[in-house]
Amino acid sequence: MIFRCHIFRRPAIRPCAALLAFAALLTVPLALVRAEPIVMTDLEGRTVTLEKPAERVAAIPIPMASILIAMGQGTKSLAGMNRIAKTAMLEGILGKIFPETADIRADIAGQNFMPNVEALAAARPDLVIQWGGRGDDIVKPLTNAGLNTMLILYGTEDYARRYITLAATAIGKPERAAANIAWRRSVEAEIGAKVRAIPPAQKPRVLHLSRAMTAMAASGRGSYEDASITLAGGENVAAALNDVMPVNRERIAAWDPEVIFLNGFEEELTPEFIYKDPILSQTAAARTKRVYKYPLGGYRWDPPNQESPLTWMWLANLLHPKVFAFDLRGEIRMRFRELYAYELKDTEIDGILRLPIHASAAGYDALRSR
Amino acid sequence: MKITPMKIALNRAGMRFGSRWIFRGLDLAVEHGATLAILGPNGRGKTTALHAILGFLPLTEGERTAPNRLGYVPQLLTIPAPHALREMVVMGRCARVGLFGQPSPEDYRAADAAIERVGIRHLAGEPFARLSGGERQMGLIARALATGSDVLVLDEPASALDLGNQGRLLYLLNDLRQAREMTILFTTHDPNHALAAADDALLMMKNEAALSGPVDTIMSEANLTRLYGVAMRQFAIPDQQGQAMPVIVPMHARHSGEKR
Amino acid sequence: MALADALVAAGSRQSRRVATTTLLVAFLVAASLVGLGVGQFPIAPSRVIAILGQAITDPAAPLAVDARILLLVRLPRLVLAILAGAGLAICGGALQCVFRNPLVAPQILGISPGAAFGGALAIFLGISGVGLLGLSFACGLGALVLVGWIARIDGRTETVTVLLGGLVVGSLFSALVSLIQFVADPNGSLPAIVYWLMGSFASATWEQAGLAAPGLVTGSSVLLALRFRLNILSLDENEARSLGAHPERERWLVFGLVAIVVASSVAVSGIIGWVGLIIPHISRLIVGPDQRVALPVTALIGASFLVVTDTIARTATTAEIPLGVLTAIVGAPIFALLLRRHFREREA
Repeated sequence: MIFRCHIFRRPAIRPCAALLAFAALLTVPLALVRAEPIVMTDLEGRTVTLEKPAERVAAIPIPMASILIAMGQGTKSLAGMNRIAKTAMLEGILGKIFPETADIRADIAGQNFMPNVEALAAARPDLVIQWGGRGDDIVKPLTNAGLNTMLILYGTEDYARRYITLAATAIGKPERAAANIAWRRSVEAEIGAKVRAIPPAQKPRVLHLSRAMTAMAASGRGSYEDASITLAGGENVAAALNDVMPVNRERIAAWDPEVIFLNGFEEELTPEFIYKDPILSQTAAARTKRVYKYPLGGYRWDPPNQESPLTWMWLANLLHPKVFAFDLRGEIRMRFRELYAYELKDTEIDGILRLPIHASAAGYDALRSR
Repeated sequence: MKITPMKIALNRAGMRFGSRWIFRGLDLAVEHGATLAILGPNGRGKTTALHAILGFLPLTEGERTAPNRLGYVPQLLTIPAPHALREMVVMGRCARVGLFGQPSPEDYRAADAAIERVGIRHLAGEPFARLSGGERQMGLIARALATGSDVLVLDEPASALDLGNQGRLLYLLNDLRQAREMTILFTTHDPNHALAAADDALLMMKNEAALSGPVDTIMSEANLTRLYGVAMRQFAIPDQQGQAMPVIVPMHARHSGEKR
Repeated sequence: MALADALVAAGSRQSRRVATTTLLVAFLVAASLVGLGVGQFPIAPSRVIAILGQAITDPAAPLAVDARILLLVRLPRLVLAILAGAGLAICGGALQCVFRNPLVAPQILGISPGAAFGGALAIFLGISGVGLLGLSFACGLGALVLVGWIARIDGRTETVTVLLGGLVVGSLFSALVSLIQFVADPNGSLPAIVYWLMGSFASATWEQAGLAAPGLVTGSSVLLALRFRLNILSLDENEARSLGAHPERERWLVFGLVAIVVASSVAVSGIIGWVGLIIPHISRLIVGPDQRVALPVTALIGASFLVVTDTIARTATTAEIPLGVLTAIVGAPIFALLLRRHFREREA
């Protein structure tokens, strides 16, 4: 397979080789270290080998594109991404920070992460990152085409840390993953410690609606949103559900959540949707104006990504305003500097936190002050 | 206002399916109150002619004269309706009931009268599908009568019946004929049926114009032999009252004997 | 004496029909009350009665949460389940008559796939409400016209060609639905389309009930009014014509009414299959083939069936089970049994 891989990459190698030789002259000791092949074990337990750090990575999993941008502090190594990832970038701040994302190809996968092998071949990737655990059908086309493939798994913080590390290692920046994970650990520990001191009775009942506009669905046990909410000291009312399940308004009324989080995916979804609903407007959350829509930073804050600790801080501030008072705006500014080498303007932070639609939201004033 | 009884007629009528003419230049006329039997071998277009008279199929050429509604008694080939006989007969009232209506007690009275007329009152509540062939044929006639039309068009009403039921059917048809209130047309394979229940007969000849006229003159041995391609003989035999009754008999298996 | 026997037999049949109908109405009322009384949000039976009483005597009073759930969630949902259940079952019964074929249902004729395509297209384009209803009606009717065009050869429509035409058109529209799913945004309209296609009353509101009710009620009532004519249309075409019916024309009237009912139901609840196929069978087993009795009974059973399955769909688990999935799980085995029975009878 490695042999076939060579054939596949041959046209790309020649111009790059000259560049590499030049780079090697400049940093001889480092180049010597880099000469070692990179051997990784992906989340499906497969061995993935790169002779040198990948220069062109195709990321089929949606959050992976922005992770690669964050780990590489730029779009250089991103050779292709999921169409939905591109939509999120153009809709959010990442497209503004890196305008060139508009030109990165987003045709490498179709519905349900089915690889588009022709488009992938045209993208000339050194490495393709794909979801594991979703069956062989979406993997076989890649391996059959001789593409160097790395599989990752979705859902937990542990998986996220492992694939952030893998992604950073693959592009030769393992230290950036280490820093990200250290940050995750410290924020997790800080919030966890304070939440442990909160008696269960004081933990608000929380609902995360992963879909709302047409058919409603709640995030239950096993979802990343459940883990984040639990970490930040919320009691997920949908904990009895396995992962994301459809629910009706009556069920929500019976749960009577004190806080409702709306997913960051549905573009037209705002807290008004809850306030206007004859049933949902009667929940404790609606009556106390504690309905919030997930922010959109470098990526949507619902699934695990490079900015997850910011999500946790946001959640903790909103769920326990007396316990937590993270300077979220400051944190966001600092982390964007670190992740994307970008200096955010105040209005851009307003956009990430979706201030306009949270005009009446309780507890959002703290996020408003500049 | 009473509608003037109308005669039924085809004038120089022709029917073509694709490129094949089933019949051409067919003339036919039945006065009100008369009964016409249509005879002819298989494939000569008896049923097609009947359907043309009924208006099921538009004529390819020629003219048709008929009232709007005719009582139709189909062949016993169609899948029997699963309804009770009385419900089946009341369907004859369809045109009067209207698109969105339900049959009224008056409609049921008409249906019951028709059932009574054909003499199967005792079967009124039975499911139609469970009746014998003869009983079904009577039921279908009752339904045609219940329509209130003064025309009765029957498609081979006797062909699926045993001799006893054939007798009952012909008795009923003759009875209706003699009342002279209805115009009746039926097709049949048996010239004796025409003799028993019809005033006139129409012979659908091969490669020549159809012949028609009163049954006792038109159904000559020569005409019938030409019609069927089998030697036909006519006799007169005494009936139960000792009166002369004409019978027509095919000379089956005789012509082959000559060849031997 | 024979006549007397027949009259007694008819009389007992009459009384049996009255008893059957009474029983079915009672069951529907009971199922509806149970459906109103149970749900994820606990409301005591006494409270249910109090809320309903207050809604009638003092409709302007402000509503408590349980009253809102009863009157704004469960009641419109119940109304929709009754209307759609009755309507879809009537459509199946009417189509089975017109085609003289007991295995026909709106789905088989391409109407449902057509309406589903219209609805999916509407969701994809961000159209809701009347627009969605109109689009699914137009596409349902369009599918039907297409089937009619395919099936009409030499000015005659054969049952077999209609069924085959329905198969072809149904497959075409199913493929178009897949195409829409393929191009739909997985974060936006796609999950909505997928869930909607599975069929559910979960998002039922009075607004939706108001949207679907006119079509459901009009289509169903006109079909019910046609029930004697449906008996006649179930006869051989020439027989029907000789009795004064206009089979060709009236068949299209039935098709149009079916399209109105199916599209109205599809617009608010997606595709709820099997109701139109199995309920008319069950009804014929109970009261026989005369549509004057069978069609109203079909309506009653269809309404009860959806009320019961919808109650299960929203109460069996914490999460909402898509109704279309439930009706298929219940409907498919029943249909298999009916199919075996049908062919065994034909053998006999």
